[in-house]
Amino acid sequence: MAIVKAEKTPARAAPLSERSLIGWLHKNIFSSSFNTILSIVTLYVIYITVNEVWHWGFADAVWFADSRRQCFEISTDGACWAGVIGWMDSIFYGRYPRDELWRINLGGLLVVLWMVPLWLPRVKAKVFIGLSTVFLYPFLAGYLFSGGGKGVFMQVMVTLAIVCLMGNTLHSVISLIKGISLPEFLIRAFGKSTAPEKTQHYLLLGILFCSFVAVYYWQSSWQVEAVSWTKWGGLFLTLVVSGIGIASALPGGIILALGRRSNLPFIRVVSIGFIELFRSVPLITVLFMATTMFPLFMPEGFVLNKLVQVIIAVCLFNACYMAETVRAGLQAIPKGQFEGAHSIGLGYWQTMGAVIMPQALKHMIPNIVGSFIGLFKDTTLVSIIGLFDILGVLRAVGKDVTWLGLHIEPLVFGALLFFLICFAMSKYSRHLEVKFSTGLKNMTPNKRNKS
Amino acid sequence: MTDTKVSIGREQLTSAASNEVIIEMNKVNKWYDDFHVLKDIDLVVRKGERIVVCGPSGSGKSTLIRCLNNLEEHQEGEIVVDGITLDKNLKHIDHIRTEVGMVFQSFNLFPHLSILDNLTLGPILVRKMPKAEAQANAMKYLERVKIPEQADKFPGQLSGGQQQRVAIARSLCMNPTIMLFDEPTSALDPEMIKEVLDVMVELAETGMTMIVVTHEMSFAKIVADRVIFMDQGDIVEENEPNEFFNNPQHERTQHFLSQIL
Repeated sequence: MAIVKAEKTPARAAPLSERSLIGWLHKNIFSSSFNTILSIVTLYVIYITVNEVWHWGFADAVWFADSRRQCFEISTDGACWAGVIGWMDSIFYGRYPRDELWRINLGGLLVVLWMVPLWLPRVKAKVFIGLSTVFLYPFLAGYLFSGGGKGVFMQVMVTLAIVCLMGNTLHSVISLIKGISLPEFLIRAFGKSTAPEKTQHYLLLGILFCSFVAVYYWQSSWQVEAVSWTKWGGLFLTLVVSGIGIASALPGGIILALGRRSNLPFIRVVSIGFIELFRSVPLITVLFMATTMFPLFMPEGFVLNKLVQVIIAVCLFNACYMAETVRAGLQAIPKGQFEGAHSIGLGYWQTMGAVIMPQALKHMIPNIVGSFIGLFKDTTLVSIIGLFDILGVLRAVGKDVTWLGLHIEPLVFGALLFFLICFAMSKYSRHLEVKFSTGLKNMTPNKRNKS
Repeated sequence: MTDTKVSIGREQLTSAASNEVIIEMNKVNKWYDDFHVLKDIDLVVRKGERIVVCGPSGSGKSTLIRCLNNLEEHQEGEIVVDGITLDKNLKHIDHIRTEVGMVFQSFNLFPHLSILDNLTLGPILVRKMPKAEAQANAMKYLERVKIPEQADKFPGQLSGGQQQRVAIARSLCMNPTIMLFDEPTSALDPEMIKEVLDVMVELAETGMTMIVVTHEMSFAKIVADRVIFMDQGDIVEENEPNEFFNNPQHERTQHFLSQIL
């Protein structure tokens, strides 16, 4: 017997428990008497905690005072934020000369300016912008921060960085307004858009060379006062060490991971040895080795400043951890992808760069950002070997005669700062994951468009 | 699969084979560790010839064609493709791979690239073709495999049959002289098998040299100039399709055909 349904079943509204607040409360908070008790107890615990924190941190806290004694005179129950506020400059900049703080701020501003195009969808050549950030910005910032006389090498690198920054920024502005790249714009501006490719290339090279020469002369005319690295400190130092660590960990990790999977025995063995050596010792050991043992092995008179040694140690250490993360990502790529790439004639580097790495890195975003967060927090270890990083400054507040014994407040403030930065990184990684989830298997067009 | 399952509905094609030898295998041997997969394989393929390789699983038929573009390395013997001898020289291998297109059972499209980018990647990176030209070329081939409207989608959004047709187009974009097919329809539903086979038949009509590992005997009957039957690493029987299907000589061939037809 055939069954035929004549009419369509109309859709009905979902039951109340699925859509109203009361329904939600019933289902999730008060579903049984035991759960009700649990909920009430939890609410009470939350209330006490929040109340205490509120009173200590805000209601009874002292914001303006000249010393800890004065803080106590105003309120004994609350936090003495006045001490933290009084030390704020040091927490951010360490002992950097107060007149020269603009250099640090400018350095921070420049990196933002440099990297903003990476977030603008209409701007092309993002890979170049990203690479130039990693390889050129450190020289410009390094000179800004440390100052003094520029050697020839430094002059060239600073010039390159400035030219690159100007180029990037111009390129982004032109892309945003006209939707074409800087080279195209220049070619059109000089009326050579119909000229043969070779002429166009010469034109671009000429412009590049002219701007290089101009910037070179301009930059050789100014110089900023030298600031010894021993004056660097606070959050600034932490960001410098972790920033360079983060920027170099990924490229270093990729190279080591590829080395470990290489078919050439020498490269493979060296990579494995390197990775395993650094992974099996604690970071603090590496730091001590870099600052105390390393100079002993060097020839007489070889002086490398401690900060550079520390940064190199941090970079190597994190590159090794990153290498294992990258290797895990590489292993998740099916063999067919390599074969597909080989079958259309791509060589090793083309296969890795265009096919394998983009997919592997996508899988690894949570792990990579996890490592970055770990790296950022681990850099506080440098305070043990005598660098005055943010943790060092926070602990120095309580040793200051005016604020003697003020230990908790600076550390709470430090914790908040770390939380803010790490949470932002974590959120950003989540955003990247969604953004790069294009073309994942079994994704409907709808879902993809939403993300 | 038999004729009753997937019918292509065409007459047998006339042979496009010339006298020029394009692939030559001499006493090729290959082992996976101790397992002897290819045993003294001798094979000569002429330009424009279309060969179907069949045989039970594990007989070495996939390995045979994967040796031709060095996805698998052979240990003994000589393979000459388009006048170039396959050896350890990476330049030779890269060159051969640009001349030999390959289509896989599992498509192996690049999931992170759009269909169009999948097609233009090789021409841009390997052939150094300007982007605009590569894209125009890619669209031409997408039209040939009848899915130009999918150009901006990602592989994960396409059906299996569409993905396989994209994979064929991707190989064709490199303008190869030889096309290898490694069980191109084994991972597909019957309705999709037909659309892929149609594209392959059309490709055969253009005179492309093709070596196809497949169980689609209807395809073999229409397209093949020669059918090769492999078992346990040997080429057991080799004949033109009518003879092969109607009058198999070897006992193992008869057994195999009786099971699949």
